[in-house]
Amino acid sequence: MLTAITRAFRTPDLRKKLLFTLGIIVLFRLGSVLPTPGVNSENVAKALEQAQAGESNNIYGMVQLFSGGALLRLSVFALGIMPYITASIILQLLVVVIPRLEALKKEGQAGTAKITQYTRYLTIGLAVLQSTAFVALARSGQLFPNSNLPVLLSNDVFPLVTMVITMTAGTAVIMWLGELITDRGIGNGMSVLIFAQVIAVFPAELINIYRLSPFKFAVVMITGIAMIAFVVFIEQAQRRVPVQYAKRMVGRRMYGGTSTYIPLKVNQAGIIPVIFASSLMYLPQLAVTMWGNSEKPNVVVEWLAQNLMQGDHPVYASVYFLLIIFFTYFYVSITFNPTEVADNMKKYGGFIPGIRPGRPTAEYLGFVLNRLTATGAPYLGFISLIPVVALGAVGASANFPFGGTSILIMVGVGLDTVKQIESQLQQRNYEGFLR
Amino acid sequence: MARVTGWIRRLLDKPGSVDLAPFQRIVAEAGELEAGLRDRTEIMPSDADRIGADRIGADRIGADRIGADRIGSAEFCAVVREAARRALGERPFDVQLAGMLAMLDGHVVQMATGEGKTLVGALTAAGFALRGRRVHVVSVNDYLARRDAEWMAPLYGALGLTVGWIAESSTPEERRAAYVSDVTYAAVSELGFDVLRDRMCTDPADLVVPAPQVAIVDEADSVLVDEARVPLVLAGSADQGVALPEMAALVRRLSRGYHYTIDEEGRNVFLTPKGTDTVEKALGVDLYADPGVVTQVNLALHAHALLTRDVDYIVRDGRVHLINASRGRVAMLQRWPDGLQAAVEAKEMLAASETGEILDSLTIQSLIRRYPEICGMTGTALAVADQLREFYDLRVAVIPPNKPCVRVDEPDRIFATAEDKEQALLEEIAERHATGRPVLVGTLDIAESERLAEALRAKGLDPVVLNAKNDAREAEVVARAGARGAITVSTQMAGRGTDIRLGGGRAEEREREVAALGGLYVIGTGRHESSRLDDQLRGRAGRQGDPGGSVFFVSGQDTLLTAYLADESLPATDADGVVRDRHAAYLISHAQRVAEGVNLEIHRNTWRYTRLLERQRGELMERRDKVLHGDTAARAMLAACPERYRELTEAVGADAVQRAARQIVLFHLDRCWTEHLGFLSDLREGIHLRALGRLNPLDEFNKESVPAYRAMLDEIERRSIETFEKADLTRDLDEQGLRRPSATWTYLVQDNPFGSEWDRILSRVAGALKRRKR
Repeated sequence: MLTAITRAFRTPDLRKKLLFTLGIIVLFRLGSVLPTPGVNSENVAKALEQAQAGESNNIYGMVQLFSGGALLRLSVFALGIMPYITASIILQLLVVVIPRLEALKKEGQAGTAKITQYTRYLTIGLAVLQSTAFVALARSGQLFPNSNLPVLLSNDVFPLVTMVITMTAGTAVIMWLGELITDRGIGNGMSVLIFAQVIAVFPAELINIYRLSPFKFAVVMITGIAMIAFVVFIEQAQRRVPVQYAKRMVGRRMYGGTSTYIPLKVNQAGIIPVIFASSLMYLPQLAVTMWGNSEKPNVVVEWLAQNLMQGDHPVYASVYFLLIIFFTYFYVSITFNPTEVADNMKKYGGFIPGIRPGRPTAEYLGFVLNRLTATGAPYLGFISLIPVVALGAVGASANFPFGGTSILIMVGVGLDTVKQIESQLQQRNYEGFLR
Repeated sequence: MARVTGWIRRLLDKPGSVDLAPFQRIVAEAGELEAGLRDRTEIMPSDADRIGADRIGADRIGADRIGADRIGSAEFCAVVREAARRALGERPFDVQLAGMLAMLDGHVVQMATGEGKTLVGALTAAGFALRGRRVHVVSVNDYLARRDAEWMAPLYGALGLTVGWIAESSTPEERRAAYVSDVTYAAVSELGFDVLRDRMCTDPADLVVPAPQVAIVDEADSVLVDEARVPLVLAGSADQGVALPEMAALVRRLSRGYHYTIDEEGRNVFLTPKGTDTVEKALGVDLYADPGVVTQVNLALHAHALLTRDVDYIVRDGRVHLINASRGRVAMLQRWPDGLQAAVEAKEMLAASETGEILDSLTIQSLIRRYPEICGMTGTALAVADQLREFYDLRVAVIPPNKPCVRVDEPDRIFATAEDKEQALLEEIAERHATGRPVLVGTLDIAESERLAEALRAKGLDPVVLNAKNDAREAEVVARAGARGAITVSTQMAGRGTDIRLGGGRAEEREREVAALGGLYVIGTGRHESSRLDDQLRGRAGRQGDPGGSVFFVSGQDTLLTAYLADESLPATDADGVVRDRHAAYLISHAQRVAEGVNLEIHRNTWRYTRLLERQRGELMERRDKVLHGDTAARAMLAACPERYRELTEAVGADAVQRAARQIVLFHLDRCWTEHLGFLSDLREGIHLRALGRLNPLDEFNKESVPAYRAMLDEIERRSIETFEKADLTRDLDEQGLRRPSATWTYLVQDNPFGSEWDRILSRVAGALKRRKR
């Protein structure tokens, strides 16, 4: 991987692309720490410290992760990429529901371009809503429940409107930056920006740990690196089901072997099950926050508070694990439909040697996939749990940066991007005989 | 106001927004110079004093010296206008000169039918040639290449330029002679085949094509977009096709629905479990353990169920001829790939024609992109402006017509069923014909044109049919098509490039008479897959400000609607079977846009995947050139096995060893490239499956093809050294396993039955995954 990157830097047009991408990331990070006008940044910094010292698990955890800490800092890019992601999910769903959009999608590129345009409009709409909500929270002091410092310089209407406009404009700029990376840089812009936000918090967190205890730092580093290596290994693992196409007569071939196959990954589901499961795990916390303080505590709420609030509690751990297993199977079943794949193959003259097209093929694929997922699902579960459990033991769990989600995102985006770099490199470098 | 909108469109980079104002200024200036040139006896130099790039003799025009840097100036415009007037008797209109200037600037110009594109192309070619460039005018077929070259020859002669043309039958000497002319007219396929043949040469003296400099593309949208994905193929080492008549007989017994199913787009056919049982029983084999047999069955089934005689092909002189779908002509050079041709021949119980192995192939897009300067002209460029920009970096300039077009385009008449449509169609033709107005009926395929002509005869009318089967009479039929009372039923042959003059092109008087009746009336029996083809058909009427009219008849059972609008149906009909709901018109244009979108996606994918192949070819050809023109091969051999080299030098002499080394390396290089091409097409066929493992198929393709290329280079080296060690140089190398294909021939592959489906699954599978991943 390192050699790929150094070679990429030696290839002029690839170097240009890489530097372009890095430049965009730098801009993006700058915007993420640049405070919005009207914010009392000193107070925000203090409030952030207090928040970290107190409740480490706050309700905005996931959002905070994706915004790289920009959200609570109320920076220009506070909203991050979330509005755009939400907007594209909404439009994907609307395409299924609204016939007019479905028709557009069918028209190919021209139609898709229009849908993308709608996505952008919706992003702006969402950004207005979200920034208004956050500014309102900040104004009423609910953004940092543990702190009573005023985070805004003024509560007048005009500065508030300025903040909303600034954050909305920031979102539009992020959207543009992402598209620039996709067009002229390396990798998928949105993924690269998420990647940047996820790893942005690492240095600060690691330095914190180092200040606490160099020993803990060493343990965290070693565990982290070992886990990354393990995740890279499993993410690359695949079962190759050979396929033959029989619609053409072909002559003799020099290179044998099967280059035609269906690669079934051990982790066919990717990261989504973990995100689903952890979102669900917030529900008990929400319930406890809402009803936990009443005079006569409910039995259920009390039980929840005891068992499902602490990450290293056995009940929490097992529920989390089981949820991940469930979502992995669920997600694989909706994303990979063996019948659909078998029908497609049949239609275009493909078959798995020795197996009839149609239903027998679908059954075979389903069988293989189930076996693979039986390994993949526990893997996802362990990756998500190991940091919580193992590091709880050394007392570093509170601010351990290598959470399961972060590692999976990091490795996923990293692998994709490196693959793309390699593929582009390979197209450019030929050397050898007769040169 | 119009200027402001034009300015805004340019700012937004909308298609077709090339600013014509500077060109029009120059043309206006040229108009003032015109009178001054009229009286001058000699405005051009004779052939004798052609020197360098400053060819228009400065002394003869006096102070207006036109050198290479003045091409495109007002003086230049005035001179070529005067030259055309004297040489051809045609004075180029202002719009034609503006078109020429836009093309000299490297744009694609859109000019309406009958505006004289041929002359504009010739003026442009002259402009480039006077700048000292070698110009290739790319035509769509041999007939047009020759006609235009001969027609414009006086103009070139007057400007002191030479012109040549190439046809399929030209010998290598004739080709070489044509290529050294200042301007060469050739069909795009001939240019491509010459390039392909050149790359198989083993002697520098055999090369034909000079380095590409300027391409002027006629019917640019057709050549650059529609045909761009068609590969030109060089094939060799013939053997007989292998489709078994028994297979054809076997599949003839199967019935649709029970034994096999055809998908809704009508592009794929596959056996049902019942059908598999029947075939296995008949052949006595386990079908899916033996890919060879499955392939035979699939091919026979494809030929039987999906290809229809007189729609997809015709049988003439005991041979199967393909029909080019977008032109309606016999595609002389096209064959189906990989055994399908033989299967169709078996179906028609004809002798199998020879098949061969693909030695090399080249897409038209890569062919055109070899030229550093490209420009083009067509009647319908605007609709493909985005693609021209994406694939060729060309902009479109829309040239206004000399006289405004007064043709009346009526809205589509829409019917629920094909029967209702045909009924109404016959009535409409009869009604228009009764007034004496000439009628041109454009049908979608040969079978339909014949059926319709039959029905018209049954009504007592006398239609003339123009289709691929009687293309010999084309010129005669077209000449008559504008005459009073003519009914012409045609396929898309009468679409592009056909100039129908009112009154049958004879007397002014008749022309006026027909114009008074309302001019030519064009009826389309169905909308095409692309709106450009519709526009081309409409464009047959209303040339040069003539009156004319056009209408399309559409039914809910047309292929366009059933294939691309499968899950929607047209609104209900009125009592008389006509659909008048406005939604219907939207649905039809939607279906057309879907079809266009699908084709664009295919084109883009083909391009993405061939780009790497082109790079590899370019790289390999560079090496090949070094071997061909130098002693690279000999030096490599000397380095690899010095002892053997010395030994051979002593035995047969240094020259003979050098020549042998070159022959050996070239042989293995060509051989390995052929095998590499085979590997890549195999790889591509199934690469879309990678998307199922959430991998990017294109990246995966590159990842596998690059090591394969490296392995190929090593293999060339290994085999060359091996042969060099073993070969007996005193004997002929051909007999020692270095036999080159005895005969090579070239053809266009009709790639659609295989090419498109793949791309479609790819986008479907990837689309489905993407949707769920987010």
